[in-house]
This record gives sequence, C-alpha cells and structure tokens, in this order.
Amino acid sequence: MTSNYLLEMNNIEKAFNQVSVLKKVGICLEKGEIHALLGENGAGKSTLMNILGGVFPADRGTIKINGEAVNITTPRMAQNYGISFIHQELNVVADLKVYENMFLGSELRSRTGFLKVEEMCQRTREVLADLGVEIDPKVYVRELDTSYKQLIEIAKALLHKSNIIIMDEPTTALTEHEVYRLFGLMKKLKTSNVSIIYISHKLKEIQEICDHYTVLRDGKVVGTGRVAEQNLESITKLMVGKSVSEERFAQTHPHGAELLRVKELTSPDLFKKIGFTLHAGEILGFTGLAGDGRTELFESIFGFRKNYTGEIKVKDQSVQITHPKKALQAGIGFVPKDRKENAIIKDLSVYDNMSLSSLGHFERRGFIQQKQEKARFEYYKKQLNIKVHDPKVTIDKLSGGNQQKVVLAKWLEVDTPILVFDNPTQGIDVGAKREIYQHIVRLAQQGKGIIILSSEAPEILKICHHINVMFQGEITARFTRDQASEDEIMKYATGSKREVEQIG
Amino acid sequence: MANPAWKQERPGESRTKQRFAWFWSEYSVIIAFLIIFVVAALLNPRFLDMNNQLNILMQVSIIGIVALGMTIVMLSGGIDLSVGSVLALVGVVSILSLNATESIPVAIITAFAVGAFAGLLNGLMVAKGKIASFIATLGMMAGARSIALYTADGGSISSEITGFTTIANSELWIIDYPIIIFLVMTGLVYVLMHKTRFGRYVYAIGSNEKAALLSTIRVDRVKIGVYSLAGLLVSVAAIIESSRLNSISSSSSGQAYELDAIAAVIIGGTRMTGGRGKVLGTFFGVLILGILNNMMNLMNVSPHLQGFVKGLIIIVAVVFQKRE
Repeated sequence: MTSNYLLEMNNIEKAFNQVSVLKKVGICLEKGEIHALLGENGAGKSTLMNILGGVFPADRGTIKINGEAVNITTPRMAQNYGISFIHQELNVVADLKVYENMFLGSELRSRTGFLKVEEMCQRTREVLADLGVEIDPKVYVRELDTSYKQLIEIAKALLHKSNIIIMDEPTTALTEHEVYRLFGLMKKLKTSNVSIIYISHKLKEIQEICDHYTVLRDGKVVGTGRVAEQNLESITKLMVGKSVSEERFAQTHPHGAELLRVKELTSPDLFKKIGFTLHAGEILGFTGLAGDGRTELFESIFGFRKNYTGEIKVKDQSVQITHPKKALQAGIGFVPKDRKENAIIKDLSVYDNMSLSSLGHFERRGFIQQKQEKARFEYYKKQLNIKVHDPKVTIDKLSGGNQQKVVLAKWLEVDTPILVFDNPTQGIDVGAKREIYQHIVRLAQQGKGIIILSSEAPEILKICHHINVMFQGEITARFTRDQASEDEIMKYATGSKREVEQIG
Repeated sequence: MANPAWKQERPGESRTKQRFAWFWSEYSVIIAFLIIFVVAALLNPRFLDMNNQLNILMQVSIIGIVALGMTIVMLSGGIDLSVGSVLALVGVVSILSLNATESIPVAIITAFAVGAFAGLLNGLMVAKGKIASFIATLGMMAGARSIALYTADGGSISSEITGFTTIANSELWIIDYPIIIFLVMTGLVYVLMHKTRFGRYVYAIGSNEKAALLSTIRVDRVKIGVYSLAGLLVSVAAIIESSRLNSISSSSSGQAYELDAIAAVIIGGTRMTGGRGKVLGTFFGVLILGILNNMMNLMNVSPHLQGFVKGLIIIVAVVFQKRE
C-alpha cells in the first residue's frame, strides 16, 4: 500500500524559539497528482515545505521518498532527491540569460573547463519546448514577463528531473491569462508523472486544478481528502476553524470625533482610490492576502513612500506628509511589520530603542538624560510586562514578544492620537499576543484612533470594530464586526466576491 | 538535529563567562593597547621616556582628529575617502587667505568654511543624490586634490605671517597644543556621540537605516551633518598641519591620511557597515598605530617595512573582533 506514495511525511514536529509551529504533521503525495496544501497565514505550511526542501531540519518525524526513509539536510540534497521548491518570490537572476539561469550551479563544462554554451542552449530549448513555449535561451531574464520567469523556474525543476515540485502561491503575481497558462502546464506535468504540492489561498484555483488537499491549522492537520468530494464551503471552514476567533477583545464604547479621513488615495501599481475614516476610540482593521497593498498604503500615509495622489485629513486639517517625521507631527504613529527589518535597531540598547522616536522628552540643554530614560522605561516595563534582565543589553537579545513590547513602548512614548499597527503579533507567542491585543484595546478606550493591518482574519475579528478587506490594491468590502465572519472575509480577500459600493 | 541558534537571554550560562565576553567585545582595543604598550616598553627602555611618550601623542594628533571624523562617518554606515585631499585643499586655501588678509582668525574661519563645505557636498551627494559614500567621496578625493594642486601650482605654499606657527608649536607646561586640541576634540566628539540626540541618530542610521527612517528620524539631514562634521574636523587637522611646518604642500600633504584614519577606526572596533563602535575605541586605535610607528623607528626597522606591520595589525584586529 505505502509504496503507492511518492512522498510520505509523518509526525513532523518543529518549534522555533520554544514556540511549537508543527505538531505531528503528515502529508502523503501520490505519483502524478496535484496536492493542495491549505491553511491560513501562520498555519505552518511554509515551515513544512521548508523542511521538505531542506531549508531547515525537523525536530522530529520521518520523510519517505518512494518508501525509503531519507534525511534531507540541505536544499542541494532535496534537489538530488528530485524535490524542487518554487518560492513565492522568484529565485531567478535577472541579469543572467535564460540558459544561464537554467543551469545555474550545475553548468555543463567541457573537459578543459570551458562552458558548453551551445549544448546548454539546446537542452534549454528542448525543455521549454516540452512545456510548450518558445523563448530564446540567450535572452536576459529581466526582459521577460513574470509568468515566463516562473516558467523558467519550472523548467529548471524539470531539467533537474524533479518529480516533486512545490509551488508556493505561484499565482499571486500573475494575470488571469497567465494563470491559465500555468494550469495547462501543471496538467501536462501531471501526465508525465510529476507530482506537485500546491500552496494557495485561492480556493477556486484549488477546485480547478487539485486532486487532493491537506488543511493545516495552528500547526496541525485538520483535514485531508479528495477535492472532488468536498465543497469549497467546508474546506474554508476547516481552514478557519471555529475555536480560534471565539475570544473577542474589542469593547463597545462610543466613538468620538473624526481623527483621520483619507480620500481617493492612489499610487500606481500599489493601491487605487482608497477612502476611509477613523474616529477617536475606534479600532479599524485592514486585511487581505499578500500583494493586497495595505502595507504600501499605510507606508504612504506615514510618509515613507511619496509617490501617491489623493487627500489625507487629520482632525479636519489637510496634511502633506512627505516624511515620517511629518506624519508624527500630524499625529500619526506607525508600528511597522517585519520587526527586525523595520522596527528595531538591533545594535542599540533596549532603553535607546524605547526613546528613539521621542528623544526630545529626555533632553535637557541638548543632552540626553539617561536617568529619565531609565525611569520612563521602568514605567513601561511594568505597564506592558516587558521581561528583560538588563535593559542595557542590545534589543536583539530579547524574545520576539518582548521586542514588540519595546517597540510598542516607543510609540506610546511618542503619544500620537492615531496609531497604525502593521502585523502587530508577527512571530510572537500566544501569551504575548493576548497582552498586545489588550493594550491595543486599552489605547482605543483612552480615545486613540487605532488601525490594525493583519493578514490573519481571526486577529482582525478579535479586536476591530470595523473591517476593511483589500484585494489587489482596492478595498473590496467593509464590515462592522458583527456582520463579518472569516468565510466572508476570505471570499473578498481572494477576489472571488467584491462589493462595488463605495462607502464614506 | 540541532535547532538554529536562536538568540535569547540565557541566564543559566555562567556569569563570569558572560562578563568576560562582554568586557572583551566592548574593550578589546584597550587590552590590545595595553599589551602593545607593555611589549614596547620591554623591547626598548627609551620608549617609556616622557619625551618619547609626548612625541607619540604629537605625531598621532593630526591623524587622530581626522580619525574622529572618520569614526562618525563610519558609524553612520558610510566612509570618507576625501579627508586627505580635503586637508591639503583646506591648508592651501587658508594659507592663501592668511597671506592676503594677514589675519590668523580669518585664516581659521576660512579653513572651517572650506572643510565644512567639502563635507557638506559629500553629505549632499550621499544623502540626497543617493550615491554610495565610497564613490561620492572618491570623487571628492580626486577633485579636492586637483583644486589644491591647481591653486598652489603643484607646489607648497608658505605662510608669510609670523605667529601662525605658534598654533601648533607652542606648549602648555610641557604638552604641545596639538595634543591638547586632539584630547579636547576627542572629548567633544565623545559627548556628541554618546550624550546627544545627534549621536544616537547616527548609531541608529548605521545599524538600520530603514528602521531609523520609520522611527521618524530625518535620515538625510543627519547624514549631511555627519559628513559636514567630518569635514570640519579635517579643517582643524589642516590648521595644525600647516601651522606646524608654516606651509602646506598641495601634492604631498594629507597623502594616504584616509587609510591611516580608517585603519585607526577599524582597529578601534568600529564596524565597517556602521551602527557599532566607540569614540574611545578610535582614540586607542590611533594610539596603537602611533606606538607601532614609534617602536619600529626606535628599533630601526626599515620604513619600507612599516606598512607591512601596519597592515598585519589591521587584519589581526579585525579577525579578533569577528569572534564576538
């Protein structure tokens, strides 16, 4: 029986930083099938695939290929076992030619050590012809469309005689036409006994192309079976789960005066005609999938990006925000996502990170008063329950949750009436998450206007009063908290449904 | 199967080991300085002579002041290759203005203006023009040297005003003015970098420019300030250099100063990519270079070989700092 499976992963476990990400996860792949791997952001899909691709090892569990147990420790080994991983961000080198990309790392060389260019071009042409496309192997990759770049990655997988191809959300950057071309290709691969693990949020695509599905939620397998025997509704339910969003933090309290009004905000290729309002005491959520433009939208409002048109009004005053400093002066604070890249200064101490945006509060005659910094930090340490032995250490020594609390303290010290949080609970454990939610709710109760950007619908449902769903740079739906459900949000976020009406 | 080395506070690890690691990473340059100092004293008894000690300080004071500016630039994540050329240009222009106006204050103000202006241009190129600092200051290096050569017709320019030489050739008790100026500058830059907003911002930008910008720091302005300040410190060095010899050479003055300054900063433990390092580190880095030169002179090592030793020390210093 088992020999039927091309790939078996059993009881895979993995924890990062003592936070368990995968709990006894298994997935089985038949020869020549397309297997959908589903789940919300943070469910553990990427972690599982990274283990298969040899990016990092599992803590526990077995991987079998053709019934034989294997130990994959490097991406190179994965390749030798016939596994190719096509990442969401394409890994092609734009400044090399097509055939050079195809043979990157495994160039054909003559006995004297010179490259066999013509032979490589010939093989490239053959593989591409198999895929039904004609591209000159000597063209630079930067001159190709995105879908063709993806094709080159697939061709590369075939060139290495891969029989397991992992595709991580391959269609996010593609137009509809290109998606069909990709699907045609996938069907063709299937007939030549290549198996594909297909990660996507777009359920319609899954229904169209996949044979089996496996759904992950919170690091566990919650369902698996044949796509044909399930309807979309029940798969969505599996992904979302019921237990997750039960707890709601947001309180109903009256909202105050209008703090922020955005009208017709447009930036080429990023977002179009965005309009919304935010009142004092309100928690407003923005959600969507990767590439929906919400981060770019708020980076623009915060003055980090400048290439946009439209109007921003803070407390009924039109403002021109050309630099984050001006946003701060106008009264907008921004806790960015990707803490390590955008929010913390890893070489500065915990104290210094806390005071960085409000050094004026700690100055006397031009000199920084470190005593005051300390006193202020002690205050936040107590209030936010920041766990740190010695705040003089650099901030990167802290755990993710505590780092995030320091960043929160930094913005509390700035004390802007409007505060934007982009993915505020990214990469932090459950306990710290709860605390962050509670603080956000408390801030709203104090009369601040709060905006939360998150790709996790449960999070948005937990704390927001109003919810905006974005898809490809546009707001496709607005809900009040009571109207919204995760299934509904998912439908608008994937673009399978959209509201044309423009509110506010 | 090993977990990836996740960074975390580990209170369980032995305290003394942690303490030592901390001390080493913070003050390794001082330990290195002490070792070299003791070795030098053992190798040659004349080394400890008070006159020799003051001599070392005197010799490093000019490079030292330049290196202070270089420290600020490198902490911000940049580099300034133009310091040597700008030093020559500042010297030439200020001596010309001195001879024309016969006023020492005017000469000094001219020097500050020229140095700060060159630095301002560097800063504008880097911050507003988004040119890599290596390239921008490489251009300035060639340009400033060329203007100095053109202005001085390729030769030296001497001051015709008596009294100009007193700036660098007087002493307070037994300590020469340049030493005092170097020490005062070190103190000022130390306070600036560790006690003021500007310094904090420079560290932040050097460590993570994007996060600094998102923390509402005016990154452009701080960077322009950084390069202007480096230019200003170069003009202080230029005044000392030209006053010491009562003349400046448009072709040889300041030659390869950028390399010595960068070497001192690196030996002092400042990270090439910025965000990490100390003003005091540079101070001791400068002293280490000075002692090495002095020792090799006392021991009659061929001057042609001295570069080799210097190079070796730089590489050893960096290798040790890697082991944080």
